[in-house]
Amino acid sequence: MKHRKKAGASIAAVTTAALLLTSCSSGGGGTSSAGDGTGDVEVWAHQGKDTEVAALQDAVANFNASQSDINVNLTLVPEADYTTTIQSTSAGDLPDVLELDGPTLASFVYDAKVAPIDSYVSQDTIDNATGGDVNQGTVDGTLYALAQFNSGLGLYANGAMLDAAGVSYPDSIESAWTADEFLSALKTLAAANDSGYALDIKENYGLGGEWGTYAFSPLLQSAGGNLIADNKASGVIDGPESVSAMEAFQSWLPYVDPDEDDSALVDGRVAISWGGHWMYPGYSEALGNDLVVLPLPNMGTGTKSGAGSWTWGMGSNTGQGAAAGAFLDYLLNDENVKAMTTANGAPPATKSALATDALYSAGGPLELWGQQLEAGCNADSVTSDCVTVLRPLTAGYPVITSEFASALAAIATGDDAQSALTGAATAIDQSFSDNNDYK
Amino acid sequence: MSNLTVDRSPRRKLRWNRQDIPGVAMAAPGVIGLLVFVAAPFLVAVFLSFYNAQLNSPRAPNFIGITQYSRLFADMQFWRALGNNLTFAAVVIPVQTAIALGLAMLVNQRLRGISIFRALFFLPVIFPMALVAVIWRLILSRSEDGLLNSLVHVVSFGQVGAQDWLGNSATALPSIILLSIWQGVGFQMIILLAGLQEIPQERYEAAQLDRASRWQQFLYVTLPGLRNTLIFVVLLTSILAFRVYDQVYILITSGGANKTATQTVLYQATTSVFDQNNLGRASAITVVFFAIVLVITVIQRRVVRQESEA
Repeated sequence: MKHRKKAGASIAAVTTAALLLTSCSSGGGGTSSAGDGTGDVEVWAHQGKDTEVAALQDAVANFNASQSDINVNLTLVPEADYTTTIQSTSAGDLPDVLELDGPTLASFVYDAKVAPIDSYVSQDTIDNATGGDVNQGTVDGTLYALAQFNSGLGLYANGAMLDAAGVSYPDSIESAWTADEFLSALKTLAAANDSGYALDIKENYGLGGEWGTYAFSPLLQSAGGNLIADNKASGVIDGPESVSAMEAFQSWLPYVDPDEDDSALVDGRVAISWGGHWMYPGYSEALGNDLVVLPLPNMGTGTKSGAGSWTWGMGSNTGQGAAAGAFLDYLLNDENVKAMTTANGAPPATKSALATDALYSAGGPLELWGQQLEAGCNADSVTSDCVTVLRPLTAGYPVITSEFASALAAIATGDDAQSALTGAATAIDQSFSDNNDYK
Repeated sequence: MSNLTVDRSPRRKLRWNRQDIPGVAMAAPGVIGLLVFVAAPFLVAVFLSFYNAQLNSPRAPNFIGITQYSRLFADMQFWRALGNNLTFAAVVIPVQTAIALGLAMLVNQRLRGISIFRALFFLPVIFPMALVAVIWRLILSRSEDGLLNSLVHVVSFGQVGAQDWLGNSATALPSIILLSIWQGVGFQMIILLAGLQEIPQERYEAAQLDRASRWQQFLYVTLPGLRNTLIFVVLLTSILAFRVYDQVYILITSGGANKTATQTVLYQATTSVFDQNNLGRASAITVVFFAIVLVITVIQRRVVRQESEA
């Protein structure tokens, strides 16, 4: 009896394992097809700010109303879980059109979850995309995604408070504060403020998430370091330049407001806010003419900033390629791009919309950040001339961002910068070597 | 001599009695559920832990033997997380049970309006732990206007400054322990209250006749009478203490909690699989954790059983 029971249990174990392994390997690459250009198109998007969601819903409604061949069904997924949701969904269950966070595109290509879009989207749309947009959406020479908007990152400041405290501030990319100038500015401003704080780094977003990598990895590149180089993190992310950048970051922390209510700058508790373009509508409404827009601190080789944002791709198993392409063409036309960028203050990712954008073109309030985006580069080719650096375009990006952001959060609670970054480097390198550099 | 010994081993014939059928039929859904939702995934996890498997990648997993386990046992972060789990359990189980017992004795009195206090003490239990974590994130805020910092400031007459309760490695885990106890003590209190009310009043009267002090009454009447209930409450609390996750996840990812000081084994497992797509490592973590919790549970049951037989 005992023997039979044992045999039964082990048979069950082997069967379940065999089932699992076959299902793991039978996912297969996606095969998208054009379809006949009519019918239902499933679209997934992230649920971000209310104004962005409203702009997207308007675009979908207008598209459906403007023609009767294609019907678009929009599903919104909460932003915090969006990337995890796509990661956990098998390719067969993904929709025809889906929004993607720019830097995660390479890992979805690696998992065969997205299809190339150059045969479905019109050539005019592709030609109209800015260089940074095409860079972000291209993996191994093939175009997988295009975006409505790029992102702007820098410092917002209350000019009145800076003037009152006697702090001079930069008016161009070249005159960005150095790390020492920034620290002394923070000290002066904190002393002049009842709250005792001077800077808000949006801790309420969670430094351990994507915000940490997006907003603070440019400090590494500005100091001469990087997140990864030639698929190796050791010596790069924990090299002396990167460590000095993070130690400088640590020195600013005593002047940082925890900002649970997300309104430290608006309420006057801080004079400077480390923020992205999406804060612009709220800040400009609250501070009016007092709002000044500045570049991030220069950690040694020139100020660097972040770029890249949500982009649109197509599911790898879509059977409605032509219809999905038509929807993407519509979504990326001037009218919808302008509606979206008005709603979220983002720089447009199409040449025609960017040239006439009220905020980012010459003379606009965010002209500085528009200039930053014109001088853009990829993370593996950082020069002293480029300002905005796209996050690394590798399928191993989820590991890189998870490890760096955790290290950043640990550094923010007082951990030693060198050991935190070396821990991140070890984990990243191990993951890359396990997976053959994610090729 | 041999014909004086009695054969004590009952010979069981594996034959279906008709009386067995209703019992088996009623147990079947539960057993099937256990097998499908607990046993089978566990076996799959054991298998996956020998592979380098990426979540939902079309590539086949490649066999790497016990590498996941050897890396895990060499990883200081994992040992620290395990230590955090054990510390959490070691503090929460006795402290929460003791506070629950104290509260249960307090609300066991026949006073008017005592049910209002029972309801108030039970109230935190009905809040989901995620909600409790979000609220306590504001209470534990490191700014001077944070609720706990303001309270400490007032109580200490301004001597103690604003503390970073969650970021400081010394106070991070105690803060999480505090909010976990706050949320869970009402549940244990209700169970112990039921147990208290089952102790016959005559025993207390007999003890008073023997001129026992209140403390002696507690030691020799209340505690023995509560024995079974206490055992149940301690076992239940220890299971829940090892399962701690919601508050840890929320406070680390959006509350600025010190990750090294507060992360737990389950947190490591979920971030491995959902943030880094490393299914093999996450499986190894869950297998190891299961083994540890199983050993602890077996030890606990042994200890308790011995006491009841003595």
